[in-house]
Amino acid sequence: MTTDAKKPGAGRTKGALSFQKLQQASILILLVALCVVASFRSSTFFTWTNLVDNLFTNAAALGVVALGMTFVMIGGGFDLSVASTIVVCSVVLVMGMDWLSPYGAAVAIPVALLLTVLVGVILGAINGTLVAYVGVNPFVVTLCTMLIFRGIAQILTGGGQTQQVRDILLRRRFDWVYDAGLRLFGGGCEISMPILIFLVVFAVGMYLLRFTRFGHYVYAIGGNEEAAWLAGVNTHRIKALTYVLCGFTCAIAAAIFVAKTETAGAESHMGKELVVIASVIVGGTPLGGGSGGLTSTVIGLLLLRIIDNLLTQFSIGPEYRTVVTGLIILVVVTVDVLAKRRSGK
Amino acid sequence: MFANDNVILRMQGIVKEFSGTRVLDKVDFDVRGGEVHALIGENGAGKSTLMNVLAGRFSDYQGRVTFDGRQVRITNPRQAREMGIAIIYQELSVLPNFTVAENIMFGDEKAGRWTRKLDRAFINAGARDIIDYLGFDLDPERKVGRLSKARQCLVEIAGAVRRKVKLLVFDEPTAALGSEDVDKLFEVIKDLRSRGLAIVYISHRLAELPLIADRVTVLRDGRKVGARQIHECQISALTRMMLGHDLVEFFPEKRNKPGKTILKVDGLSRAGVFENISFELREGEILGIAGLVGSGRTEIIRAIFGADKARGTVLFHGKPIVGRSPYLCRALGIGMVPENRKQQGSITGRPVSENLNISILGRLSGVLGFQSSRRLKSQARLMIERMKIDPPFPHAGIENLSGGNQQKVIVGRWLAAESKVIIFDEPTQGIDVGTKSQMYRLIMALARAGRAIILLSSELIEITKLADRILVIRDGRLVREMQGAEADEDSLFAECVRKDNPE
Repeated sequence: MTTDAKKPGAGRTKGALSFQKLQQASILILLVALCVVASFRSSTFFTWTNLVDNLFTNAAALGVVALGMTFVMIGGGFDLSVASTIVVCSVVLVMGMDWLSPYGAAVAIPVALLLTVLVGVILGAINGTLVAYVGVNPFVVTLCTMLIFRGIAQILTGGGQTQQVRDILLRRRFDWVYDAGLRLFGGGCEISMPILIFLVVFAVGMYLLRFTRFGHYVYAIGGNEEAAWLAGVNTHRIKALTYVLCGFTCAIAAAIFVAKTETAGAESHMGKELVVIASVIVGGTPLGGGSGGLTSTVIGLLLLRIIDNLLTQFSIGPEYRTVVTGLIILVVVTVDVLAKRRSGK
Repeated sequence: MFANDNVILRMQGIVKEFSGTRVLDKVDFDVRGGEVHALIGENGAGKSTLMNVLAGRFSDYQGRVTFDGRQVRITNPRQAREMGIAIIYQELSVLPNFTVAENIMFGDEKAGRWTRKLDRAFINAGARDIIDYLGFDLDPERKVGRLSKARQCLVEIAGAVRRKVKLLVFDEPTAALGSEDVDKLFEVIKDLRSRGLAIVYISHRLAELPLIADRVTVLRDGRKVGARQIHECQISALTRMMLGHDLVEFFPEKRNKPGKTILKVDGLSRAGVFENISFELREGEILGIAGLVGSGRTEIIRAIFGADKARGTVLFHGKPIVGRSPYLCRALGIGMVPENRKQQGSITGRPVSENLNISILGRLSGVLGFQSSRRLKSQARLMIERMKIDPPFPHAGIENLSGGNQQKVIVGRWLAAESKVIIFDEPTQGIDVGTKSQMYRLIMALARAGRAIILLSSELIEITKLADRILVIRDGRLVREMQGAEADEDSLFAECVRKDNPE
């Protein structure tokens, strides 16, 4: 009996593992294939300017948020409020710097940044508390806080006026967050600051998710929350922390956006939460959580961005690009569902 | 001949295979009108598969089915339904947002010819007729979702009767009911029997059978072990039939020497569930908690472990545990192997190593909370070896393990955490005989090593053979304490079902 049960059991495990790998790989293959096609069709695609300066740099800020979102979604949660959180954070950052400008850039910038991070963490903690401790459905909670946070940003800006740091010198100093970079190959190529920030967040995130107790617990909660709770895991705190982390990444993204545009507006970043969630899902982290990872999110994000970039290069209008993005998500998720159904039987 | 034995259903030589594995092996089964025939066996014995054949879930079974005097081949659920077969599953299939009447009359509504407007008067009147006929206490216009589980079950029965059902199958109906509701349900079933219906009653809880069944058929490993008149046999005899004769010898000998008190429960109460539960647990002791399903026994130990809120205090080593939660209990050294392995035990989609280590990750952390995967794996390997988990791979997904091996992982979790108190809730539910005997020996060995054990089981034989002391829970109250030596299966069962006020 026992020996009988052993073989199919072991075989299935290996099969399931390789199947998962294959699925992850399929998106990577799609990504590579797209790049190859793109570099043949467009002479400008495979240039440092287009890929690194343009595409990666532009994707970095939302990429950071997608990393935070990945934690939330692996833990079985969901956060619709990220775009609104970014808006509140950027308004706070600009207004904070403006208010602190008399003390000079050396004080104003770090203090305003600290304040922004604090605000991001608090907004995340509000979501986290409501979802994890009170037990309200994450979709409902974050749908409401999405509206509330956006409203707060509008109130702060006196009805949605675009905010700017009045002190030009201070404003220019802060641009450093966007404009600085790491020169490579004797200055021929440059990796921009947003990319560097993203890489640091990615490295820390990888460490948290893969090599710490917190990361293990996040996966466990997504896998089976009740079982994790009964195994003595403080599931409430871990779940709340994922939202806090997500709020923190929103604050970082806000800093990048502010440095890029030099302004903050209560009406900006509309609908960006869907782009972020889409990257996580396309990457392969399922709704409901339990599996997935940061690398897959990065692949998902790049896939969406490169398709978007290609369509732009072939001068296809933004309205079609939205349709294409929607179709891609639909196809990826449908294929996933179909594949799982087949392997499940 | 027909009038004499009045057989409604006769199944002969039923064989069903799932991808080469024979789950039903030439099973014979019959039910007469005006009879309650219990079908018992352990999980995986084939009870549900046999009933699913009857329900038309499979079209590829072999064997002969005769229903109401005609030979039939049931190939789809609709056909089964039209023939007059209804199955009432443990998970009821009522529509919670519909009224009682709408549920009972579902599929038989009348609508205005032109307006297509539902004829509510017709629905309510039709439902009222059925309810009156059966003598149920139901308001036809109430929403079903607001009724208790027991009442919802009545709605489902009424719906079946309205469809002129001839054979009614109850699939573990008492699993979700409190004991008062169980009494009521039994009365209803007896009433249906007196109206000439044929009733199949599925259960793996032997304890309730004498209260309800006329005949009993025992299945084991897809085969029919035997059929008996219920008054001819004792619970202990049925247990042996269900488990196999040799299992009784699997139990190791008791020789525990309980030490000092480690856990003290004082006045634990939860409104409407259990009341004023107090007891002590000593080191090196196995404390059995016996009671019918719905008696509140699981709720009591969940409250001790902090999974549910309750009034009263629990003292660990003489100190009260303030703000009990599984998290806190784990840190103190209390562990629980939960009742429902799949929902509450296994962390699905995660490897065995994580499932084993989840309660001790704090101890395994290095600098900056670093989790070395080498260390996690070697720790998991130790436990895999100790528990003889099969397949012995730390990276295997837990959902790919057999039930018994999943249970070993969950128990191993608390061994790794070196818990001083381990609560086992139905530890042998749905696992094979080999793993069962391993579990018994393990529980004994833990007690001998000074751990304190609380054991809950529906299989009373496990409690009588393993426990040093037994608490009997009835209707949420601790009604009796017995010494392990003085209890046998039949006397313990009598304690579990005894009425407080004998007539």
